[in-house]
Amino acid sequence: MSDHITEESNFSETKEKEKEKEKQKEQDEAEDEELRKLLLSDVQNLPSTPPSAVESNFAIYFALDFMKPRHDQYVYRHANGLCVIGLAPSHVAFKDEGGITAIDFNVGKSDRSGVKVTGKRKKNAQHFESNTALCKVSTKNDSYIVRCCVKGSLLEVNQQLIKQPELLNASIGKDTLLL
Amino acid sequence: MEQKAEEEVSNAFPPSFSSSDLKQLLHSLPSNALNHFFSLGVCVRCILRLFGIKGPIYASIDNGSVENPVDSTASNETKLCNVCLGILQFRFYDDREKRMFQKDAAYDVALLIADMVRQEGYQFDSFSLEVSIPPLILQKEASLWSYIQTKYGSEPWFQEKIHTGCVSIKDALKFSLINPLEKLLDCKSSWCPFRIRLTYTHTKASEGVAKCSDNGGSCKRRKTDESDSTGERPLSSSVENGSFDCSKLFPKSENEPCHFTYNCFRTPFYFGGRYLKYSRNVSQTCWIIDDERMGEASVEEIIGIKVLQACRGDNYKFHAAGREDIDVRMLGPGRPFILEVQNTRLVPTEQFANNIEKMINEEENKLVRVKNLKLVGSDGWNLMREGEGEKQKQYAALVWTSRPLKDEDFQQVSSLKDLKVVQRTPIRVLHRRSPLEREKIIHWMKMETVAGSSQYFLLHLCTQAGTYIKEFVHGDLGRTHPRYDKNLRLMQCLMAKMSGTHTNLLVTALF
Repeated sequence: MSDHITEESNFSETKEKEKEKEKQKEQDEAEDEELRKLLLSDVQNLPSTPPSAVESNFAIYFALDFMKPRHDQYVYRHANGLCVIGLAPSHVAFKDEGGITAIDFNVGKSDRSGVKVTGKRKKNAQHFESNTALCKVSTKNDSYIVRCCVKGSLLEVNQQLIKQPELLNASIGKDTLLL
Repeated sequence: MEQKAEEEVSNAFPPSFSSSDLKQLLHSLPSNALNHFFSLGVCVRCILRLFGIKGPIYASIDNGSVENPVDSTASNETKLCNVCLGILQFRFYDDREKRMFQKDAAYDVALLIADMVRQEGYQFDSFSLEVSIPPLILQKEASLWSYIQTKYGSEPWFQEKIHTGCVSIKDALKFSLINPLEKLLDCKSSWCPFRIRLTYTHTKASEGVAKCSDNGGSCKRRKTDESDSTGERPLSSSVENGSFDCSKLFPKSENEPCHFTYNCFRTPFYFGGRYLKYSRNVSQTCWIIDDERMGEASVEEIIGIKVLQACRGDNYKFHAAGREDIDVRMLGPGRPFILEVQNTRLVPTEQFANNIEKMINEEENKLVRVKNLKLVGSDGWNLMREGEGEKQKQYAALVWTSRPLKDEDFQQVSSLKDLKVVQRTPIRVLHRRSPLEREKIIHWMKMETVAGSSQYFLLHLCTQAGTYIKEFVHGDLGRTHPRYDKNLRLMQCLMAKMSGTHTNLLVTALF
């Protein structure tokens, strides 16, 4: 007799649990649906070509004919004061046949690629003036000095360019970073 | 019958100890020691506590009617007690009223305190009394006690009753004040968040502290400390042979009443919950640069100000388990947070928390939503630790790519599991963080088409905690890239192509 009763009560317990599970499932589904709607709410009014990450985060400057004709460089300045220096597409080096073949950071008094800046205070960062040489880019027949353009401390250089200078030819490869 | 009468007496206020009852009690104490203490200029309550007596008697003694048990002359109560410097005689300089007070009974002091509490307007159903005594007085007590131990240690009454120690000044003061305060404030005293703090300070106390620092910076008095104030060490021998000069125990120069301040406050309450952020223009914490606010509001202020106003607190502290950028939404289950509210005038309840949650969620501009707001104790901090410790975080990013998407792109992205990426400190935070390389894991990714576009897609990803999502997607000018592995060559090409052109991505945190 008691077995029968426990069986029945177990049965009604499981039924209740099932009901709860269903309710929870419904709730979850409703929440998921709401979430999907929210995720896709950004989708209204999307521009066909949005601004690039660089355009959105930096103020883009160009230094044209910097110290020498057709030595065109760009400076991307972030709101926090950091700058990225690089060769503008109109730089004379790109006009040479074969484009850029080598990059050497060993100019001036030190090898810029050996710079090891550490810590929040950016210890060991070298202080540069706007006319300080950053690196030398070479093409088949010529070489050009790339200068700093802005006054600041050098934080890092793009090491990839040493091994793969052709990256500069393909896209706007960053050259250096400054504080 | 007798027991019932005793109970009635102890429950009534004030327990009717008449001056003759006090006299009887004093006569029951060992007379040699008692007389000695009186001659040393110790007040009656200090005497009682030196004999280890506890209870409501402290509250019911009237200073005006105490007599010297030996010769029935006026007692020590007219002179400042050499041990407690007036604390247990209710003589003090009141810093609030800026004048000297000399009260006869504990009830009069309790009145001052109760008035202050009523003025402050706190809601409470219990109070906890806290007392702070200057170190100088504790030193005097220690000197006296070691003197007593040496002089009377061998006597039978000492060994029977009080070898364990005397009642402390703090406890004696509490015995004096708690009953009157319970009556005046109409509630019981107990360990609770509402605190009444009594602070005694002494102008000569700084010297005492200087002496403390002579102990090598440690203010813990060694238990065997003897005669600190006089600097004499061999106390025991001179006491025993009677040559000890008692006047050295209590230097006259220190004989000034204490300064007394009293205030009340509530210990912090903690609200826990999860928040969702719907806006891309709301920072997590208040963000102001050069008097200009960044964004239109902050999660911390939206939640904190409402809670603060509702419980009438002094200020709040917002603690969240992790954070997201100002332009990143926080959806899904929401981010755990704890809001600490200090010195609330009202006592928050569960219902109260529910009401505040509703108020925040019914705000017109719907910038932030709160879930499961409730009062939490120390268990709340465990929830936070869990929230931070979850090693995997989930995001959704709306991404644009310059070349139209192909089916295989979707498959390739989905096939990548536990992809290792190397992230140099992003340029956007490099001004305030160390330049480091951090390897992170992207556990899985899933691309989802966005209706009507071949170049926009929704990227769902699950990453290791601490991964910079924006930089992962746009590559940060090549400073974030997958760790090279020849099996991933294809993916690398795809990511490289994407990273040159990914733009304007809109990230949503979902965990």
